[in-house]
Amino acid sequence: MRMVNLRVSYNARRIALGLAVILVLGFLLLPGQLQSVFQSIGSPLGWVISWPLQAVAGIHDRIADIWGRYVALQGVEEENQQLKRELDLLKEQNGQLREASAATERLSALLEFKRQALPTSVAAQVIGRDIGNWYKTIILNKGASDGIQSDQGVITPAGVVGRIVKTTASTAVVLLVTDPNNAIAGLIQRTRDEGIVEGTTQGQARLKYIPLLSNARPGDHVVTSGLVGGFPRGIPIGTIIRIDKEEEALFQSAELSPEVDPNRVEDVLVIRSFPLPTEGERLSVPKPKP
Amino acid sequence: MKALIYCTVIVGLVPVQSVLLSHLSVWGVKPDLGFVAVCLIGLIAGELDGLLVGLALGWAMSLFSAQDLISSVILKGAVGYIAGLAGRQVVYLSPVVLVIGLLVVSCVIGLVTPLALTLSPQQDLWWAAWTVVLPQACLDAVIGGVIYWLMWSRLNIEQVMSESRI
Repeated sequence: MRMVNLRVSYNARRIALGLAVILVLGFLLLPGQLQSVFQSIGSPLGWVISWPLQAVAGIHDRIADIWGRYVALQGVEEENQQLKRELDLLKEQNGQLREASAATERLSALLEFKRQALPTSVAAQVIGRDIGNWYKTIILNKGASDGIQSDQGVITPAGVVGRIVKTTASTAVVLLVTDPNNAIAGLIQRTRDEGIVEGTTQGQARLKYIPLLSNARPGDHVVTSGLVGGFPRGIPIGTIIRIDKEEEALFQSAELSPEVDPNRVEDVLVIRSFPLPTEGERLSVPKPKP
Repeated sequence: MKALIYCTVIVGLVPVQSVLLSHLSVWGVKPDLGFVAVCLIGLIAGELDGLLVGLALGWAMSLFSAQDLISSVILKGAVGYIAGLAGRQVVYLSPVVLVIGLLVVSCVIGLVTPLALTLSPQQDLWWAAWTVVLPQACLDAVIGGVIYWLMWSRLNIEQVMSESRI
């Protein structure tokens, strides 16, 4: 086979090579500025690439759907019985939670925290996974044109998924809670001790900087503390499975089992905004209701 | 024609890499098809084509990854350029030699990448070498070798290389 070749003049090749070298030097000398420029002009390129990406993801979903409905039906009966038992348990818990929810709603309104409890969110679908092996991320089918920005939190009804690290016009990249480069402010629900939740290389999560005097124990639930980082307070992150207390250490840490399995997540909510109380608001005396 | 092929490679590789390859991962590690493509383009079409496709592919891939733009662009561009320079020095390249070459270059790039990315302290060089770099290099080498073997057995690869270069 003969390959068609558009021959370019020697001068044009030299100019192209020179421009490439200038570009690389520019990246080394002005990394921040050039990176933001290329990130913003890359948005249309991302939009173009998102079309085949969504098409491939759609075909993949259909194949997975057919596989799930007709081929992978082994053990469904047993799973069905187990789910029914879980449903009964959840119904009971639901009744208790409704009561608790009603009480919380009244208290929230009283303390004027209702704004914080109802963040605006955008529903999105997972259309891909990270391109490389260094980060644990997922790609969403919503982007900057839907109001999604970096550092916004991503959740499912079960709990925290991760946070947005990059956007194009029509896609967004979410760094998962299980990635070691992610850090989310967390809170042990029972003891109210705060810490930082980081991912681990084993695909779990770890709550760091727990005070030594804390009586946290396996089985305790960890939720978002709501102080920083795109998440309102109280969204489940994981359950403590082991406490690590080293001698002469200033803090203890806990290994968590994340509430959300990032490998199975398909639909998510991106928390677009929620009013974070300022330092003044947090410390000031609540205003009396008219 | 060449430009069209390169655009197709750039636009097509991102969906394949992010959607389909997650099912073909071995021990959670995926091959880097971008690396393989840039190497082959550099080898066959020369260092300038390798450099430009590497820069463009690095940019496109960084838009859909948490990896920062600079490391992605520079590493892919450098791979394409080096592959082009290496291709100029060889008259005949057998698939076996290419597989060994890909294995070595993928290992080197894989060991440079964590240093360029400033990853979490948990992801040290030892962890990176055993859990990401070596498995990925093996996968890259096998896939690159298969693609090159297919081209080598069906095309007159020396003629294609000489026609593609100036």
